[in-house]
Amino acid sequence: MVESLQHLMNGFGIAATVQNLLYCLIGCIVGTLIGVLPGIGPIAGIALLIPATFGLNPTSAIIMLAGIYYGAMYGGSTTSILLNVPGETASVITCIDGYRMAQKGRAGPALAIVAIGSFIAGTIGIFGLVFLAPPLAEAALAFGPPEYFSLMVLGFIVLSNVTGKSLLKSLMMAIVGLIIGTIGLDPVAGDARFTYGSVSLLGGIEFVAVAIGLFGIGEVLVNVNQPSEMLDQGVLMPRLRELYPSLQDLKKSIGAILRGTVSGFAIGLVPGPAPVIATYASYMIERKVSKHPEEFGKGAIEGVAGPESANNSACQAAFIPLFVLGIPFAPPTAILLGALLIHGVNPGPLMISQHAGLFWGVIASMYIGNFMLLILNLPLVPLFANILRIPKRILLPLVILFCITGMYTVNNSVFDIWMMLLFGAMGFLMRKWAYEGAPLLLALVLGPKLEVAFRQSLMISHGDFGIFINRPVSMVFLLATVIFLIGPVIWLMFKKTKKGGILRVKS
Amino acid sequence: MFKRIISILFVLSLILTMPIYAAEFPTKEVQIIIPWAAGGATDLIFRALAATTGKYLGKAVIVVNRPGGAGAVGYTEAAQAKPDGYTLVSAITPLTILPHQVKTAYTYKNFEPIINVVRDPGMFLVRSDAPWKSLKEFLDYAKKNSDMITVGNSGAGGGVHLIALAFEKTAGVKFNHIPFAGGGPSVTALLGGHINAVSVSPPEGIEHVKAGKLKITALFAEKRFELFPNVPTVKEQGVDFVMGQWRGLAAPKGTPPDVIKKLHDAFKKGMEDPAFIKNAKDMVVNLSYLGPEAFGKLMAHDDEFYGKLVKEIKK
Repeated sequence: MVESLQHLMNGFGIAATVQNLLYCLIGCIVGTLIGVLPGIGPIAGIALLIPATFGLNPTSAIIMLAGIYYGAMYGGSTTSILLNVPGETASVITCIDGYRMAQKGRAGPALAIVAIGSFIAGTIGIFGLVFLAPPLAEAALAFGPPEYFSLMVLGFIVLSNVTGKSLLKSLMMAIVGLIIGTIGLDPVAGDARFTYGSVSLLGGIEFVAVAIGLFGIGEVLVNVNQPSEMLDQGVLMPRLRELYPSLQDLKKSIGAILRGTVSGFAIGLVPGPAPVIATYASYMIERKVSKHPEEFGKGAIEGVAGPESANNSACQAAFIPLFVLGIPFAPPTAILLGALLIHGVNPGPLMISQHAGLFWGVIASMYIGNFMLLILNLPLVPLFANILRIPKRILLPLVILFCITGMYTVNNSVFDIWMMLLFGAMGFLMRKWAYEGAPLLLALVLGPKLEVAFRQSLMISHGDFGIFINRPVSMVFLLATVIFLIGPVIWLMFKKTKKGGILRVKS
Repeated sequence: MFKRIISILFVLSLILTMPIYAAEFPTKEVQIIIPWAAGGATDLIFRALAATTGKYLGKAVIVVNRPGGAGAVGYTEAAQAKPDGYTLVSAITPLTILPHQVKTAYTYKNFEPIINVVRDPGMFLVRSDAPWKSLKEFLDYAKKNSDMITVGNSGAGGGVHLIALAFEKTAGVKFNHIPFAGGGPSVTALLGGHINAVSVSPPEGIEHVKAGKLKITALFAEKRFELFPNVPTVKEQGVDFVMGQWRGLAAPKGTPPDVIKKLHDAFKKGMEDPAFIKNAKDMVVNLSYLGPEAFGKLMAHDDEFYGKLVKEIKK
């Protein structure tokens, strides 16, 4: 531990040179921009900038590219809050309460709490990275196909009713998500499913198209459907001093931020779509521990603070398997792996000892970068919040334009734009009949991974389902799922008999 | 006022989406479609090559991953891309395998060969604490416990999967093959002890062999690795089996010959760049240059070879 601190101090020495500070700043700015724009995400952003790092030394290059990654996590929520357009997959959940806050004229506090929560989560996440990296990376290896399957079953069951409205409707939406997730080439055997001869469908439905469609386009259509007088009204604008969170907001949020940080970090270590699961889990936790759960979905600040902190610490945790094992668990870290290789650094078990300067320099730069992001983002809050002063008559078509161009940049695919519009229409109908988009998106992310893990497990065990319960980690997850499903029923029966007992005594 | 803003935006959007026609190739960045997940061998090699080739081509080379369907997704997309030289695809052995196994929308004939970059031997890795001390022990165990040793691969019908299938045929054993979405995930599963062995080709898993976590239990090369001179090939140990994969670049059919030549020249220089050579050495990949014509012949030869192998296996 003392040794780690010593290394970290050396790392600060490396990160604090003028050159490295500059590249860190550039990375943070680019990351924020990429995060703010819907569609183009950290993966494309890093890939586009790799060629720009050719002339740099590896440490500066990785400092900048890592800055883009965590910077994008800061910016990703901006459009979620302002326009109900999730900029990144990790900020889908922020739409729920963030957008409601903005509609109530509280866009400023929502945006500010994202920056503050992200800063706290990023900072704590770095300490986790410094002290826990090697043992945690080993622990992550304990996840084989059966464990992965059971964890996702648990995640699926627990998180599908994330907004806590109608369980039946949530499950229906989750099933729709699962069905959409099966479109494309079967990941195990390579057969085409539900593609009806369309080549564009072979790769499956693009997640971003569904997310922007259901939330962003759907919201625009809902607005258009309102009486035209409503369109002329801007959003209730706050006074200047209300642009930043009040003391009460901060008090409400701090618990959410800390819980989000811890859960996000833990989930970030698991291979797969960690930031998405981390944000859903954090929202769920906040709604459960809240003293006023009825406020969730109507603009609860905790519903923004928790998930946004969670996605930042999940992003930090994702560096552990990359640096320690040389294995990227998440697509953005896979791009970073490529960048490391290009600069002659082979991440793997030997990296920390062979490239100590780079490893600790990059980690120290993340701390500095988080601070820069806070300084960068807080003054931008009034600017962004003022976007909502634009009358809806003008803002809404701009949002559509913004969504279409953003969507196109993801895969340079016109087909994706049509998909997005189709899901926009679906989002409109879902809003009208009060179906939630969040469970559908979760199922769309988890479904294909769940299927692969399930089939791999059964191939390993020659078709024996025992593999899921014979392995302790897997069994614990399945047990937790069963408790979650049966627990409330038993609790209800217990309460009823107790009540019944009292009644009998009375009579 | 607003009308003006909207008209400006409209004109701007037209300008931005207008295709740019220019005489000199390349006028924009060139993208390489990798039909496998980021972090696998093909991905790593072409990312390194893309990095050194950019400066010779004059425009950046970007790597795009389109994983899924054992490569079918990426190849289908690449085969249908505009043959203008801006969309290339990494042509690797499975391009000549998958079309024999399932109905695909393409064969190797849908692509113009540009350059071959790497020819690598296949190998089996096991954990260092595995009970098998030698190839003989490994195969003896496999003979006694048919279908029990789980061998991971980077996707059903992919190159390393077929290598494993061909090897078990030659050695007279049977393994239980588990497909993963790329070499990265399969090595991770081996490290975690969820499978017994993994069929890979360098650089996958090499860092872990260096670190002593994994060991090479079977090497299907003609000669030993320079980096691991103590690891004998299977041929030395009496199993006459040599098999590997090639990895090169191809463009959609119909790409103009002068564009192919420009791309070939730039990538050849990129291959000869000391930075790439060093990267390739670090990754333990075996560089093997072939020009468009020779690479085309290699593809045609292997297409026939795998066609026969797949038919035999299916029997």
